[in-house]
Amino acid sequence: MRLVHGLANTLIVQAFKHVPWLASRWAKSHQFVEGRDIPWAPLRKPVADSTIAFVTTAGVHLKSQEPFNMDDPDGDPSFRAIPAGVPRADRTITHKYYDHSAADRDINVVLPLDRIRELLTQKRIGGIAPFVYGFMGHIDGPHLRTLREVSAPEVAWRLKSDGAEAVVLTPA
Amino acid sequence: MGLIQRTIEAEGIPTVGISILKEVTEKVRPPRSVYLRYPFGHPLGDAFNVTQQRTILLDALRALETITEPGTIVEPGYAWRRHRFE
Repeated sequence: MRLVHGLANTLIVQAFKHVPWLASRWAKSHQFVEGRDIPWAPLRKPVADSTIAFVTTAGVHLKSQEPFNMDDPDGDPSFRAIPAGVPRADRTITHKYYDHSAADRDINVVLPLDRIRELLTQKRIGGIAPFVYGFMGHIDGPHLRTLREVSAPEVAWRLKSDGAEAVVLTPA
Repeated sequence: MGLIQRTIEAEGIPTVGISILKEVTEKVRPPRSVYLRYPFGHPLGDAFNVTQQRTILLDALRALETITEPGTIVEPGYAWRRHRFE
C-alpha cells in the first residue's frame, strides 16, 4: 500500500512538473490548513536599516547535512540551518516534488543569496541574518502537526536569536 | 510555507512570502505576500536573470514597508518569460 502510495505520488509529481496548470487544480481541491486570524508584527524600522533573513521550502541544505526524507509521501517536517554565506560547492537541493534544474544552476531563483548581498553592498538593507532556514515543502498528514508545533516555532525562535528583523520566505 | 510564515510573524518578526500558488495563499492567509504566476522552481524567475531576481526580491522587501492590511497579496503581474525587466 505504502509502495503504491509512493508510486502514485511520484507520478503526480512528474505530472506537476510537465503540466503546470495541474498545480492550480491540485491547489483548488487539496485541503489546506486554513488561516482565520492573521498574525501581524509591524516592521519596526525601514528595510534599509533592517536585518533580513530567508526561510525557504525549496529543499536547500548543506551537503554535509542529512538530506530531506523523500520516501515518506507526507514529506519531511524537519529543517536545516544553512549559513547565509554558504559557498556554492557546499550546498545542494533535495526535493523531488519540483524541477530544480534551474535552481541547481542558479540558486537565486529559489533563494536569492547573491541578490541580497548586492542589496547590502548598495545599503538597501541593513544586514543579512547569519542563517537561512531550509525546509522541504509538501508536508502533509501527521507531519503538519510537527511542523506547526515543533519545527516552525523552533525556527521562529532561532530567527529571533539570530537578530532577524524581517523574514522573506520563498517556495519551491 | 504559509504556516511557517504565520508562526514566525506570531513570534513578532514581520514576514513576506513569495507565492506562486494564489489559491493556497488565499486559504492559508499569511500576513504579506507577493504573488507571481510563475512555474514551480522559479519563484524569483529565471536562472541568471539578475535584474528579474533583484526586482522580485525588492518587490518583496517593499511589501514589508507598504502592506498595512494583514493578508494582503501584492501582484506585480510580470508575465512569465514575456515581461522585460530593466
